[in-house]
Amino acid sequence: MSSWPSQTKYIGAETRRIDAPQKVTGQARYSSDIQAPGWLYGMILRSSLPAAKIGGINVDKARQIPGIKAVVTLGDGERTVHFYGEELAAVAGTTKQACLDALRAIEVDATPMPFVVHETDAKKTDSAKVWEGSPNFGGPSTREHGDVDSAFSECAAIIEGFYTTPVQIHNPMETHGNTVSWTDDGVTCWASTQGISSVKDSLSGALQVDQSQVRVITEYMGGGFGAKFNAGVEGILAARLSREAKAPVRMMLTRFDEALAVGNRPSSFQKIKMGALADGTLHAFEMDNYGTAGFAAGGATGGGGSGVELPMPYLYRVPNSRVSQTVVAVNAGSARAFRAPSNPPASYGMESAMDDLAVKLGMDPVEFRLKNDPNPIRQREYAIGVEKFGWKDKYKKPGSSPGIVKTGVGCAGAAWPAGGGTRSTKGEASIYPDGSVEFRLGVQDIGTGTRTVIAVVAAELLGLTPEQIRVRVGDTNFPPGPGSGGSTTCPSVAPTVNDICSNALQQLQTLSGVADARGDNWYAACKKLGVTPLTVHGQWQPGLSESRACGVQFAEVAVDTETGFVTLKKVVAVHDCGLIIDKLTLESQINGGVIMGMGYALYEERVMDDLSGVVLNPNFETYKLPGIADVPDIDVVLINMPERGVIGIGEPATVPTAAAIGNAVANALGVRVSSLPITPAKVLAALGKVPPVASTTT
Amino acid sequence: MNAFQYATAQSNASARELAGAKGMYVAGGNDLLGLLKDYLVPAPDILVNIKALPGMSQIQRGDKTWAIGALVTVAEIEDDPDIRETFPGLHEAAAEIASQQIRNVATVGGNLAQHSRCWYFRHRDTVCLKKGGDLCYALNSDNRYHSLFTGNTCISPVVSSLATMFAALDATAIVLRDSQETRMSMDDLYHAAWENPLAHNSLKPGDLITRVEIPVARHRSTYMQVSDKHTFDWALVSCAAAADVDGGKLSSPRVALGSISPVPHQVEAANAFLDGRTLDDATASAAADMILAGAKPLEHNGYKMPLAHALIRRALSKLVA
Repeated sequence: MSSWPSQTKYIGAETRRIDAPQKVTGQARYSSDIQAPGWLYGMILRSSLPAAKIGGINVDKARQIPGIKAVVTLGDGERTVHFYGEELAAVAGTTKQACLDALRAIEVDATPMPFVVHETDAKKTDSAKVWEGSPNFGGPSTREHGDVDSAFSECAAIIEGFYTTPVQIHNPMETHGNTVSWTDDGVTCWASTQGISSVKDSLSGALQVDQSQVRVITEYMGGGFGAKFNAGVEGILAARLSREAKAPVRMMLTRFDEALAVGNRPSSFQKIKMGALADGTLHAFEMDNYGTAGFAAGGATGGGGSGVELPMPYLYRVPNSRVSQTVVAVNAGSARAFRAPSNPPASYGMESAMDDLAVKLGMDPVEFRLKNDPNPIRQREYAIGVEKFGWKDKYKKPGSSPGIVKTGVGCAGAAWPAGGGTRSTKGEASIYPDGSVEFRLGVQDIGTGTRTVIAVVAAELLGLTPEQIRVRVGDTNFPPGPGSGGSTTCPSVAPTVNDICSNALQQLQTLSGVADARGDNWYAACKKLGVTPLTVHGQWQPGLSESRACGVQFAEVAVDTETGFVTLKKVVAVHDCGLIIDKLTLESQINGGVIMGMGYALYEERVMDDLSGVVLNPNFETYKLPGIADVPDIDVVLINMPERGVIGIGEPATVPTAAAIGNAVANALGVRVSSLPITPAKVLAALGKVPPVASTTT
Repeated sequence: MNAFQYATAQSNASARELAGAKGMYVAGGNDLLGLLKDYLVPAPDILVNIKALPGMSQIQRGDKTWAIGALVTVAEIEDDPDIRETFPGLHEAAAEIASQQIRNVATVGGNLAQHSRCWYFRHRDTVCLKKGGDLCYALNSDNRYHSLFTGNTCISPVVSSLATMFAALDATAIVLRDSQETRMSMDDLYHAAWENPLAHNSLKPGDLITRVEIPVARHRSTYMQVSDKHTFDWALVSCAAAADVDGGKLSSPRVALGSISPVPHQVEAANAFLDGRTLDDATASAAADMILAGAKPLEHNGYKMPLAHALIRRALSKLVA
C-alpha cells in the first residue's frame, strides 16, 4: 500500500514554480504563441442578431479578398440562430486584416425573430420563445424533506429574502482557441485547454478522424476556469479551415468573442424563507430559485453541467426544507462549468440568509454558523479564523459603525464535494545513466503549478531536488491524465507520481544492485544502467488522496454611504486540502480564488440589452474585473492534514468570498444589498438615497 | 479597419492641408484607433500625424495665464510639479485618467476630443441615434452610465476628466479653424453635443485644438470622481471645483461635473451663489441642490443624484480645507 513519507523536505514546503524562469522571460510558449510552419489566421463570423432565421450564407465575396485561403460555413441551408454571437461561418487568411475584411464581405440572409434576454421576462407567459413551440422553462424540480409548513410555525425567528447573482463570464487571460493542422497524416491541435484528452476525443468525433491520428499539445496555457474542456466550435472550425487551406490555422478568439459564446456562470434569483428555533437551531428552509444557463443548458457546447440548480440549504443541517428550482432559457450564450459550479451562488444566497437570520435572532453570525454547520473541519477553521481576523473585536451590531464611511465584517463557509483523484491517471518516467530524469504525464498545467507538483513529489521520493526533475506535460502522446477541473488535478497527479517513483526505485535498485538508490546514491545507481535508460510507468493509487476540502473566509469592508463605494480591506482565508504539496502554488490558488470571488461580489456582470439582444459589455472596459488596486490584503491560513492525503483546492478557494463580502457590506450598512455585484448604484439604492424615476420616456 | 493614407505634418498649415475634408488627426491614437477598428465613425481617407507639430508639446507658465499644448501628455500633466502646485485639481484629474500606459501616450487634445463612451455607441452591432440610427437605446434600456441632463434625445455624457477640470478653472481651448484661432470655453467646445445627437463636441472637420489656456485666477482647485472600481475605470460621476479662498470665503468659485451631461455640467447661478460666501455644510448643500436642479434621472441612473450631490459637497469642502 502506497503512502506519503512522514518526514518531508519538499512536500509541504515552499517551492518556486519550476517553470517560473520560462514564464517571466517569455520563453514559455503559450497556445496563442504557437506559429506552426505556414500558419494562417482564422476568424469567426458571428450572428449580429439574438434570434433569426438564416436563409443562407453567401461567402463568394469573402473568397475574393486577397490573402483569404479558406472559408467555411456552419450548417447548410436554413437554420435558426438562438443567441447574439452564434457562429455562422469562418475564414482563414494570411493577415488579420484580410480575415476581418472577409468577415465583413460575407452576406447573411437573416430574418430577425422575437427574442428575450432576461430571465425574469422569459418566465412570463407572453414572452418570446427561445425554442419555437417550446416554453422557456419546464416545471420546477422540487426536493422536500420533513414538514416545512408546520416547521415554520414552530420557529422563533423567520427571515425572507430575495438574493440574486448575475451571469459571470470566465474571462481567462488567454482566450479560447487553438492552432490546428489537419493533413492526410492526421490532426495536430495546439489547444488552450484544460483537457488535452477531451479535446482529442471531441476533435476525433467531430472530424471523423481516428483517435490514433489526433494529437493535442498544450505546453502552456493561460487559464480556463471550466470553460475550456472540449475542442469547441473554434477547434472544429480551425480544423475544417486547415483542411481546406492545406495549412495550419490559428484560431484564437478575441475578448469580444469570450463574452458571447464560450461559457459563463448561470444567474440565480433566490427567494429564500428560513426560520430557526429560539436557541438558534435552523428548523425550516424554503427556496424558490430560477436562473439561466443561456439558450441551452450547456451540454451541447461542452464543459458540463449548467449549474443553475443550487445545492441548498448548502452547508447547513435543516431538518425541514423545500427547494424548488427552474432553469430558464434566454437568447444568450450557454453556460459551462465555472470554478465550483453552483457553489458560489449557493453560498451567496444561503450565507446571506444566515446573516439576516442571525441578526434577527440577535446572535453572533459565527456562533450561529457553529451551531448549524455539522462539519468538524469548518468548525476548527472558524475557530482559527476568528482569532486571526480579530472577529470578536471587529464584529459590531449592523449599521453601528460611526461616520460616513462605515466598516463592516462578514464571514462564510466553503465546501467542495469533489476534488479527489481521477483513478485512470497514468504517467511514466525515464531515468538516464547520467542521472537525469524526465517525468511525462498526459495532464496539462493550466497555470496552477502542475509541473511543480510533479517535480516536488518526485524530488521528495527520489531524494533529489525539484530542479533536477524534468517534467513534460500537455501532450496526448504521453500516458493519459485527467482534465484539469473539479479540483482533481493535484490529487490525480501526486499519487501517480508517487507510484512512478516507487516503481522507479524498485527497478533501479534491482538493476544497479544499489540497496537504496535515493539521494546521495542516485548518480552511482544510474551509472550502473550502462547505456540503456530505464523507463518506468505508474498509475494513480488509492489511499494517497481524498476529496471534500472545506474552508472559511472572513472579509472586512469600508463602505462610503454617500457615494456607495465599497473598499474591500481585508480577507482572511482559512483552508484545508489534506496533504499540502507546495505552499507557494497553494497560496497562489487561494489568492486567485479570493480575487475571483471579489470580482463576483463587487464588479462582474454580463449585461444583456433588452432592445437589441446584444451583450452590452463584451470588453474589459465595462465588464469590470478587479485590478491590483482593488485587491485587499489577503491572509491565507492553511491547515495541513497529511492524514487525509492530497485534495484539490481550486474550487473551494473561490466559493465563500462573495458571500463573506456581501455580509460585510450588510454589516457595515445595517441594510442588505441583496444583489451581486454590489455596485455604488445598488448601495445607494439600498440606503434609500436614490430618487424615484422622473418619467419613462419612449 | 478601412485602408487609409498616413502622413506626418510639420506645420499647422500643412496639417490642415493634408487632412483636407475627409482626413483626421492622430496623436496618441487611443480613442481614434478604437473608433476605426470598430468602424464606428466614417472612414477617414488620411490620418495626419500631428505629433511633430512645433510648439504644441510645451507647458508655458505665465503670470496670468498658463498655456498647455494640445500634444502635452496626460502623464506629463500628472507628473509636473508646477501644475501640482498651481492647479492641484488638474493634477488630480490627470491622475484619475485610465491607466499609466494610456496616460503616457494620451494627449490633452485627444482627451478633449474623445468620442462618446456610451456602450450603445461603442457597440459594433447597434446603430444608435449617435451613429445615425433613429433610436437612443440608452434612453429606453440600460442607462446606468448615462446623463441626468441633455438638450436633445441622446443621453451620452461627456467623459473627459480634463474637460471637467478645465471648465472649473475657466480654461479656454484654442482651436485653429480656417486658419484663424478660435477661442472656445469648455461649454463652447461641447455645446454642439448638447443640441445634436450626432455630435460629441463642437469641432468641425479640419479643426485643430492647439492649446488650452488657463487663467491663474483660482489658487485652490480639486477634482474627484467615483467609479465602480478604484482605478482604471470611467467616472460614474466626476466633480471639479476651483476658487480663491480668503479667510474661509470663496472667491470666483466654479464647479463642473462630468459624466452627467453631454457637456461639462455647470450652473452659473450656483457659482454666483457661492461667490463671497463662507462655506459650511448648508451652503455646500444648497449649491449642490442648485447644480442638480432640473436633472432628469432615468430608470437606472438615479444613483448619480446622491453621488453627484456628495461629490459637489466634498469638492467644495476640500477647497476650503
